Amino acid sequence: MPYEAEISREHPTCFLFVIDQSGSMDEMTEAGRSKASFVADVLNKTLYTLVTSCSKSDGVRNYFEVGVIAYGGSEVTTGFGGALSESIVHPIQAISEHTLRVEERKKKMDDGAGGIVELKTKFPIWFDPKSAGGTPMRAALNRTMETVADWCERHPASYPPTILHVTDGQSTDGAPDEAAEGLRKLSTKDGYALLFNLHVTAGGGAEIVFPTADADLRDEYSRTLFGMSSPLPAHLARFAGDKGYTIADGSRGFIFNGDPQCIVDFFEIGTRPKLVADR
Amino acid sequence: MTGEAETKLRLPLAFSVPKVFEDHRNEDSFHRSRKGVYALSDGASVSFDSASWARILVRRYARNPEFTPAWLAAAIAEFRKLYDRDSLPWVQQASFDRGSFASLLGVRVIDEGRLIQVFSIGDSIAVLCDGDCVKATFPLSAASEFSRSPQLLCTNPAQNVFLDKVDFNYDLVADWTFRGLERPALLCMTDALGHWLLSRRDDDPSPVSILRQVRTPGAFARFVKDERAAGRMRRDDTTLIALW
Repeated sequence: MPYEAEISREHPTCFLFVIDQSGSMDEMTEAGRSKASFVADVLNKTLYTLVTSCSKSDGVRNYFEVGVIAYGGSEVTTGFGGALSESIVHPIQAISEHTLRVEERKKKMDDGAGGIVELKTKFPIWFDPKSAGGTPMRAALNRTMETVADWCERHPASYPPTILHVTDGQSTDGAPDEAAEGLRKLSTKDGYALLFNLHVTAGGGAEIVFPTADADLRDEYSRTLFGMSSPLPAHLARFAGDKGYTIADGSRGFIFNGDPQCIVDFFEIGTRPKLVADR
Repeated sequence: MTGEAETKLRLPLAFSVPKVFEDHRNEDSFHRSRKGVYALSDGASVSFDSASWARILVRRYARNPEFTPAWLAAAIAEFRKLYDRDSLPWVQQASFDRGSFASLLGVRVIDEGRLIQVFSIGDSIAVLCDGDCVKATFPLSAASEFSRSPQLLCTNPAQNVFLDKVDFNYDLVADWTFRGLERPALLCMTDALGHWLLSRRDDDPSPVSILRQVRTPGAFARFVKDERAAGRMRRDDTTLIALW
């Protein structure tokens, strides 16, 4: 049965975030922040959650390997800086040890006695917003395909890699669908790599979440991204349903023009493999 | 009256082995007494310090088996005193804030088994037997139920909101009795063993008869090792309390 491999230190899984950093990502959202800034914040929170879900009091366990591929202008590079910039994919423990900086933020928490307390919380930053130049999406997906192919070869028994691709639209270096198809054909013994696409846009239009068809998508870029997206496996479909989304047989891992909560949920649902090792 | 009956109770057998034998780290915790109060807790593998949390839960249950929101709040307060949150590095602070998770299974054997009160949150189960036959299980009754994510007690109060919708005296409790049973026995176990037992409850020989032969820690370790090697038992910390 696909997507059922136990995730363990012997058989980790891989999350790859592919982030559009083209010039148009500096457009402001309705919330008054640039798309790039919002995506960077959600990515930092997602990395924080991934590290936390592998952490115990005595250290971080390498259940996950994580990479960020950033593209913009003529560049496709790792999205990590500092000690992590040497390669694309790193064990989660290395991610936890090499932040760009740790900020202090305030977090509201249940005090256990019916009240709320505000606590100072250390918050790590790995990824700063950037936005410049064109959108070399095809080159980025080709680089992703090479990375995923190498990972699958080294981890044939693992839960397959999950790729979360965030973009605001049009590829400027040619059609990306062929690279996406190649990516989706890569596999481990536990199933094909999963490619989920998030189309962030300031151009308006109704929010479309986990659709089964492209009939309601108005522009060709959205339809291309829909066509590039993997169907949600059963356990992720169930999780998305539990979060209140309408899921049907064949729902794909694609969101168009999602609101901020929807974007947060996209990352949360995409990074929720069946964690058998959790118990 | 009850006190006199309690002093007559036999001490149940109790065994626990870790997920990895060579590792020796075991996040299960248990308590048993001749007063007829037994408790068992299975700490979730990937959470901050579930071993300490499981220990606190069973010790507190043994001292006071009346589970209430105040009981849980006091247990959380005891756990939080183990760490200075603000001085923790960010990774540990994040994990501490996320919380430590554990099941809690508590049993009170009253008046030599006239009443057996079982309390459970999570996927550790109690099994009432007559001879080699399973008469009742609580809170899970089918092997398939172990594939769902269990709701566990957490040191982060926000994760315990599921308890707001629960009737503590109805949803979390089962009342059994030894009366009317020819060869009554009571078993308490964590999820790997619970799944093993429920997935072969109709087998011949019955899983109860297999467990009945396990009388020493060494025999329990060999039994678990063999079942894991045969692919019949999940690799996890595994604990059994058995009142034969």
